Amino acid sequence: MICPSCGWDNVPGNEACTHCQHSLTPLDRPKATNRVERSLMEDHVRDLCSNPPTTLRPDATVRQAVDLMLEKNVGAVLVVDQDQKLLGIFSERDLLKKIAGNYALWQNLRIGDFMTAKPASVAAGDTLNFVLHKMDGGGYRHLPVLENGRPQRVVSVRDMMRFIIGMCDDGSRRPSANGRH
Amino acid sequence: MDLARNLKIESVSRLNPTPAWHVAPHQSIAEAVALMRDKKVGCVLVCIDRRVVGIFTERDLTRRVLAPNKPLTAPVAECMTPDPVCVHPKDSIGSAILKMIEGGYRHLPVVNDGKPQGILSVKRIVHYLVEHFPATIHNLPPSPMFLQPKREGA
Repeated sequence: MICPSCGWDNVPGNEACTHCQHSLTPLDRPKATNRVERSLMEDHVRDLCSNPPTTLRPDATVRQAVDLMLEKNVGAVLVVDQDQKLLGIFSERDLLKKIAGNYALWQNLRIGDFMTAKPASVAAGDTLNFVLHKMDGGGYRHLPVLENGRPQRVVSVRDMMRFIIGMCDDGSRRPSANGRH
Repeated sequence: MDLARNLKIESVSRLNPTPAWHVAPHQSIAEAVALMRDKKVGCVLVCIDRRVVGIFTERDLTRRVLAPNKPLTAPVAECMTPDPVCVHPKDSIGSAILKMIEGGYRHLPVVNDGKPQGILSVKRIVHYLVEHFPATIHNLPPSPMFLQPKREGA
C-alpha cells in the first residue's frame, strides 16, 4: 500500500502509514463503480418507499392474524408489546410450518406462541447494501425497520428489486430513492 | 459486471432454478402441505401428466384454505392458483424480475413446452443481484457500525 501522502510503501493492511502516520483506511474502502452501486452504498432505508408495518399484540389469535393478512394483503404481521417494541414476526411460513394440519381448532391459538421471536431487522439509517446483505444472508423476504426498537416500516424483497430495477432502467430517471412512483 | 446489461442478456437457466416438487390435482391439501414442509419450499406445482396446470403456495394456503376454514382433506385443485404466470428458461432475468414485481410473486415456475424445469424464487434473484456487488455487500460486517476492538492476527 503506497501512502498517498509521502509515497512510503507500507505492508498491506496497515491502518496508518509507518513513515508519516497518514491514515490508510480509506484506501481499502470499497468504491462504487456505477450508479446502482453508489446508490446502494449511500441511500438509506428511510429513503426507500416501503410499507407501514402491520402489527398485532402477542395475545391476538391466529384467526385475527389471518384476517389482517388478507385485509392488508401482506405475508407477515409484526408482533409488538404495549410500548410498540418489536417482539416477533408471524408469517405465512409460520402458518404452513406450525399450524396447518397440526391443530383442528387453530383459530383461537395465541400468535405469541407461534411467532418467530426476535426477527432480524434493520435500522432506518442503515444503507441499502446492508438490507440486501441481510436478506441474502438470512433468506428473509421482509425486514422490520426499527427506530428505538419500534417498527416504523417493513422493507420487502419487492421494494428492493423495484428500486434496483428502477436504477438500471435508464440513466434519465432515478425513481424511488426519494420520490414515489 | 454491468447489471443493467446482464439483466437483458442473461437467461433464467443461468440461475439454476431449484427443482420443482409437484402433486396431482386430486391429492389433498394436507399432502401438499406435508410436501412443502418436508422439502422446505414455499410452493408446489400441480401437474397432470408432467404438465403444469396450477401452483399451490403459502399464500394460497392462507387465503384459500385457512381464511375460509376449508378442511385440509379437500383436493388441492380447489384452492390452487390455476394457470400460473411462468417463465421460459431462455427468458431474460430482467423480464422474470419484472413479472415478479408486477404480480407480487415469490416463485415463478420455469416451464419449457408445458413441462416444468424448476422454480425460480425471489431469494435466488436477491442472490443474483448481490453477486453483482461483492465488495459493497459481501464484505459488510454483521452490524453496520461494527468495529473490530483489536487488530486481528495470529
